[in-house]
Amino acid sequence: MRAPDGPPVTSGDVLLSIDNVSLSFGGVKAISGVSFDIRKGEIRAIIGPNGAGKTSMLNIINGFYHPQQGIITFKGEARTRMRPHDAADGGIARTFQNVALFRGMSALDNIMAGRTLKMKRNMFWQMLRIGPALAEEVEHRHRVEEIIDFLKIQEIRRTPVSRLPYGLQKRVELGRALAMEPELLLFDEPMAGMNIEEKEDMSRFILDVNEHYGTTIALIEHDMGVVMDLSDRVVVLDHGIKIADGTPAEVKSNQAVIDAYLGVAH
Amino acid sequence: MILFGQFLEVLVSGLLAGVLYSLVALGFVLIFKASGVFNFAQGAMVLLAGLALVRSLDMMVANGLPFWAAIMLALLFAALVMAITAFMVERFVLGPLINQDGLTLFMSTIGVTFIIEGGAQMLFGSDVYPLRLFPSDAWFLFEDSFPGGILVSKIDVWGGLIAAVLVVGLALFFQKTKTGRALRAVADDHAAAQSVGISLNWIWFIVWLVAGLVALVAATVWGTKLGVQFSITFLALKALPVLIIGGFTSVPGAIVGGLIVGAGEKLAEAYLGPFIGGGIEYWFAYVLALVVLMARPQGLFGERIIERI
Ligand SMILES: Nc1ncnc2c1ncn2[C@@H]1O[C@H](COP(=O)(O)OP(=O)(O)OP(=O)(O)O)[C@@H](O)[C@H]1O
Ligand SMILES: [Mg+2]
Repeated sequence: MRAPDGPPVTSGDVLLSIDNVSLSFGGVKAISGVSFDIRKGEIRAIIGPNGAGKTSMLNIINGFYHPQQGIITFKGEARTRMRPHDAADGGIARTFQNVALFRGMSALDNIMAGRTLKMKRNMFWQMLRIGPALAEEVEHRHRVEEIIDFLKIQEIRRTPVSRLPYGLQKRVELGRALAMEPELLLFDEPMAGMNIEEKEDMSRFILDVNEHYGTTIALIEHDMGVVMDLSDRVVVLDHGIKIADGTPAEVKSNQAVIDAYLGVAH
Repeated sequence: MILFGQFLEVLVSGLLAGVLYSLVALGFVLIFKASGVFNFAQGAMVLLAGLALVRSLDMMVANGLPFWAAIMLALLFAALVMAITAFMVERFVLGPLINQDGLTLFMSTIGVTFIIEGGAQMLFGSDVYPLRLFPSDAWFLFEDSFPGGILVSKIDVWGGLIAAVLVVGLALFFQKTKTGRALRAVADDHAAAQSVGISLNWIWFIVWLVAGLVALVAATVWGTKLGVQFSITFLALKALPVLIIGGFTSVPGAIVGGLIVGAGEKLAEAYLGPFIGGGIEYWFAYVLALVVLMARPQGLFGERIIERI
């Protein structure tokens, strides 16, 4: 199901486009006829009041939900019902609104789990820890240690994640997504529940990932300050409908947005 | 001294029998942890594995294959049968039922039980088939210290050894391989596991395959002990108290629970039997489970109260 290796997508081209997508749950219309695109290399924010359909949109992009209507094109390939692990294989990684870590594992193992698709060796070799499997394990550990250094979580790498404070859990979750070396990284409220300092750290990481690895980012965030600072373009949803799309400055001065979103205290 | 010798003998035979309960319980735990499915079919899988093993073995021996080669081939064949079963269960039963609640899945495994039991007997026959993989005589240990020594059945010792190897193998598989890590990931969080590229369908196949291989191991030992026959499926009923005692989600719990039940029922039979009548073995495990259930509903090793079934 991996998208065929067509011409490489270069910076500024459209990486993902959402065309007239609608999704409903029984009678509830979560998303109605929304279209927008995400360009290679940009940080794209998705904002809107509670229940606007933001998380549902991410779930559509990474294959958890299948819209009843509309077309999703990723790397030039229109796709129908893509399952989440196929989306991951195609280069889409994500974090979750409420941290979704593997609670029984250490931080290191959580991040290693992000390498699942990159590890090819046969499990019998892995069990015996000999031959090519050992070399492969070492190579992956090396990549994972780089990520751990980047996120500055060296001291907690052996700690079971359930014992970590929330802010660090979010960081481990980011590490797991980075371990996948994704082309498109989806964040669902990466800074919810964090204090100012933690928010600044997380903002820094997001910018660094975008700049150093050239990873395209889609970001859901309620903190308008963060959105204005980080994003190149912003799409605004309200009650499942797109009400604005543009640069942070444009969106900020858009009357519909002010009415629907900025007027609401958060 | 005679009394202590007797006690040791009963204890050892109880523990070794308990290992076999652990094996069956282990199959349950693996599936329950990874998919939240209470797999009613585990006992049927032991029957299927045993029948596939003994019938193919008999056939090959009858056709003049050397015994050791026949054993190898028969084990391979039985493993293949379990793999096919895992594939079909995933493909036709659990795959289509993805996202259904625990009770629905539990009911579906009851259906699977009947299909496996029926299919196994249709394909391989429904008699009692003796299996002779291990010597069935006994050792007499410590004859110097205890008059007559302690009787230890060789089958039980083999069973214990094989179970130990299996547990070490499973531990390596879970801790050291990417598939093992993926299994733990799925057990912890389905959505997050999928998001890193783990296919639930693939994992469920693997889980049922592993449970099938565990069933095969249990079948080699139980089959040698009792002959491969339908009553082997009742083993699954013994696994239930083991699970309640050990906890549904704990691999060490399954092992310890099995040992407790095995040793407990043999000791109770030997020491309480004379006072309250025999046959204690048949109900002791359930009473023990009831006591645990009242004192510690999640089991000795369980993480939390099971709300899934
Ligand atoms: N799995 C589901 N089943 C039923 N309804 C759902 C499901 N997921 C989302 N919805 C509904 O779809 C609508 C949009 O929800 P969604 O979670 O996408 O909003 P959101 O913009 O992420 O909100 P928040 O800011 O609170 O996270 C809501 O009315 C929600 O109740
Ligand atoms: Mg949301």
